[in-house]
Amino acid sequence: MTIDLANTPILETDRLILRAPKGADWPLWSNFAQSQRAQYIGGPFTPRTAWRAFGHVIGHWAMRGYGLFVFTLKDSDTPLGTVGPWHPADWPETELGWTVWSTAHEGKSLVYEAALATRDFAYSTLGWTTAVSYIDAPNTRSIALAERLGATLDATATVPAVDNAKEVLVYRHPAPEIDSDGGIEAYA
Amino acid sequence: MIQIPTLTSARLTLRPPTQADFPALADFYASDRSKFVGGPMTAEQTWRALACEIGHWPLRGYGRWSIDISDTSEFIGIIGLWNPHGWPEPELGWDLMQNATGKGYATEAALAARDYAYTTLGWTTLTSLVKPENTKSAAVATRMGACHDGDFDHERHGLLNIYRHPAPVSVPENLQ
Repeated sequence: MTIDLANTPILETDRLILRAPKGADWPLWSNFAQSQRAQYIGGPFTPRTAWRAFGHVIGHWAMRGYGLFVFTLKDSDTPLGTVGPWHPADWPETELGWTVWSTAHEGKSLVYEAALATRDFAYSTLGWTTAVSYIDAPNTRSIALAERLGATLDATATVPAVDNAKEVLVYRHPAPEIDSDGGIEAYA
Repeated sequence: MIQIPTLTSARLTLRPPTQADFPALADFYASDRSKFVGGPMTAEQTWRALACEIGHWPLRGYGRWSIDISDTSEFIGIIGLWNPHGWPEPELGWDLMQNATGKGYATEAALAARDYAYTTLGWTTLTSLVKPENTKSAAVATRMGACHDGDFDHERHGLLNIYRHPAPVSVPENLQ
């Protein structure tokens, strides 16, 4: 029996589809989570903790009504990574997070494209008025992406307690633009 | 947001876990009473664990339900089919809040969940993992006709007794 999240939004960009995570994404998440590539999100994980972490990624949608999207190329449902709004109980504020599960999909600005779409979703649909990205200090690729997205270092922001043992930087995204009608215009 | 089936028994409703269950679960997992079921845990860990209860359903196609007393909609615990990575085989597991014990609720809900496993999912066997000191849970398993059938040493939970439930054909009529 297949049971998946239902009635979740699907976002589309020039090259990508962004959809909710599902059980069938587990094998590629598992490979990623147990690899060195997961070092900046608390990994590498064991099979047991990788499974629980993915259960949490899926369940976050039901808990909050939103969560990390899985992004895929338009002609394939193969998951390439996660990107989007993230707010577990111990996060000081709402985050835009991202992971890329293999080197094959780096260097093509795919995550930049996906992150812009989810930031727009967070501002326009969820009504967020601010968002941060928590980034481990040595993670230069993520820092470069945050800066390209217009986010700037916020030295006054609180870091999740779980990250107290390491140096974590808080990048704050530009606030949504308020248009002349008082509504929030997509920032992109 | 997720299509988890709802079950009912004489007094109880087994329904999808939600964010609304978090405060009661956080209280329970902060208390010493959760020591047999993976606690005590911080509120943050409990939130992630509750999310994982929900995520278990898409990952496995089955999972655990939140239990309400049907008449009052009072949330009294979590029960169901649990098989995270690292488990020896699927188990029927239950965590009941402090104020809900001693009334036969665990047995009643567990019978409904076992019936779902055997009748709807077509399973042919089922276990429950019980910490050796957890005599109340062992009593529930025994009342359901399950028997001690070996042990399992879990990397986080330590030694667990495996109780094996009667196979579908051998469940006595009064326990179906």
